[in-house]
Amino acid sequence: MCYRWRAVSAALVLFAALAACPALAPTAGAQGDTILSPTYGRRAPTVRGIAVDARMAEDFGLRPGAVVRLSGTPGVPGDSVTVAAVFERRADPAEVARREYRIRTHVDHLQQLLALDDRVDRFAVGVPDSVPIDSAVARINHVAFGFRAHKSADVAVQSSRTFRVVERFHRAIGLITVVASAVFLLCLLLLSVEERRRDIAALRLMGISQATVVRAIVIEAALVSVIGSVIGAGIGWVASLIVNAHFQQVYRTPLLFALLTPEIFAFATLTSLVLGIAAGAVAAWRLVRTPPLTLLGR
Amino acid sequence: MSMRATLALATLRRHPSRTALAVMGIAVAAALLLDMVMLATGMRESFRSLLLTRGYQLRVSPKGTLPFDSEATIDGATAIVSALRANPDIRAVSPGLGATLALPGHRFPSVFSLGLESDVQGDYVLDGGRDLPPPSDRTTGAAAPLPAVVNRAFLLRSGKQLGDTLTVASGIDAQLRTTARARVVVLAGEGRFFYVPAETPVMALPLRELRTLLGSAYRDRMSVAMAESRRGDSASVEAVRTWIAQTQPRVTAISTETAIRQVEERLSYFRQLAFVLGAISLGIGFLLVATLVTLSVNERRGEIAVLRAIGTQKGGVLRQVFLEGFMLSATGIAGGLLLGLVTARWLNGILRDFPGLPAAFDFFRWSPEAAWKSLALLLVSGTLAGLLPAWRAASIPIVRSLREDAVG
Repeated sequence: MCYRWRAVSAALVLFAALAACPALAPTAGAQGDTILSPTYGRRAPTVRGIAVDARMAEDFGLRPGAVVRLSGTPGVPGDSVTVAAVFERRADPAEVARREYRIRTHVDHLQQLLALDDRVDRFAVGVPDSVPIDSAVARINHVAFGFRAHKSADVAVQSSRTFRVVERFHRAIGLITVVASAVFLLCLLLLSVEERRRDIAALRLMGISQATVVRAIVIEAALVSVIGSVIGAGIGWVASLIVNAHFQQVYRTPLLFALLTPEIFAFATLTSLVLGIAAGAVAAWRLVRTPPLTLLGR
Repeated sequence: MSMRATLALATLRRHPSRTALAVMGIAVAAALLLDMVMLATGMRESFRSLLLTRGYQLRVSPKGTLPFDSEATIDGATAIVSALRANPDIRAVSPGLGATLALPGHRFPSVFSLGLESDVQGDYVLDGGRDLPPPSDRTTGAAAPLPAVVNRAFLLRSGKQLGDTLTVASGIDAQLRTTARARVVVLAGEGRFFYVPAETPVMALPLRELRTLLGSAYRDRMSVAMAESRRGDSASVEAVRTWIAQTQPRVTAISTETAIRQVEERLSYFRQLAFVLGAISLGIGFLLVATLVTLSVNERRGEIAVLRAIGTQKGGVLRQVFLEGFMLSATGIAGGLLLGLVTARWLNGILRDFPGLPAAFDFFRWSPEAAWKSLALLLVSGTLAGLLPAWRAASIPIVRSLREDAVG
């Protein structure tokens, strides 16, 4: 029981309040349209229409034109409404793990269903380009009582906190992986270079300079790193396809969970190259400092 | 120490930097594996202990929702709670109502408020001051300050101390700039709330008074009720849950197991990530040991050939090389255990910043059984990784290897 689940619900959205049994469509009474009603002048249709999300439509076999009963209170028959549209949810990371069905109604319809009179949870305000947003927010908050204005950018920052935490977590895991890779690479290069100490001793005895030997080993290490990165990127790309296919099916969302971008590829290759060159240089330096005859075991 | 172990140890000590790097690599792989096991099992155990903190195994919420998943409340709460309390299989029922109250003239405009019955509440533990009085001891006069228990975040953000009073209000009319109802509360106690994020200010008030404060629409409403089965076994809990589902059509009863399953679904990303990274770290450990031992064996072909030439049996060489892999893995895993515990604290600190998570929730939790199993798996995998190079070492053609070593 986490209070984080007290998620903010949009005014136009009613979570899981649908008595989703197809009804026999009795004609609903005419909607009130007095001078005090928010719909004054816009006569509502006799049977209201709602939009349902594609997941719900699929699970309940709903199509446009289907008649269902909608109630704000469990166990109460509620209103007959028609499914006017089926909509696809946006790829919103904030909702990916939530499995609620979702419908959209007109504001006045939802107010009526929930007996909420003339209330909304929030509304959006557009300001002309000439008006600074901060001053508009300040002016609204100066006169506001019982509500508060926030900049959309601030709301976005707040609502993306979850993903910033996930991003930090991924970075931390990435750091651990880089450390593990660096150690692995250093071990391998150290061993593979030491395995060829007779060849290197021969080169040194032939008069090849220490610097040339080091350069040759470093270039070899760099090439190995780049080739390894390209192969790794290929494996990563295939893995991202599998991950996306799996999680898109699990969460029934078009959201991409893993993405291989040119920036990520460049970062991985560069990191690998730097680590490879450093490891190659360390391994080569250890070897060229040893006298060639010692390397030959003499 | 046996001769084989001594020789294996001597081989590893002959190249200290190489051995140190190998041990470090295995330690990092072991740490990652341990962390991922802790992540995969920790969330479940943490959430379970959170839900069972006060012994309530069932949550009753508005039909079709999880507790506090939406603003929906249950009407006719008194009748439902009475029916639950009349069931001999139910030991205790704790109703709760969540609402937002305004704080006119304060640093922050509103506070999340919980209406609770103090004698059965299971939402907080008192850290200081006085608790909410039981219903029979409460002063009913509307003018008397209402006792409230608040959390540390509330005290810090409001600048108030225990014993201070403040006004809470509800029924705000934005046009008339008035509140329909207001009440003076006295901050009687400080509580540690189990299910509320540590950074969220929260105030617990007596349920009846909170309903009155919220107005007639909330007269008989609750957001959630927690119920405790008299016999705590899962079959009895499930029987009570089924009974609630059959007799109370307007609510959903969720058992601890169901709640854990639903939360696991929401956090399944982390579990699957843990599985993938755990498998990768196991693979890295295997590859590292296999590669190092293979290269080490190639380097010592001459030495192994001499051992074989002076009469050492194939099995002896095999055991010695095998021991090298075992020693590398065992040392790396011991270091990885310490490293894993440190990094788990670090990673847990990162994930604890998740907005809206209860303060007592941990992503990484030490589970001895799971941790030992995973580390044993890595040890076996690392040791087995030395098997192939050990077999190759034992099968070295003696004469050719001696000649190659002598000629170069």
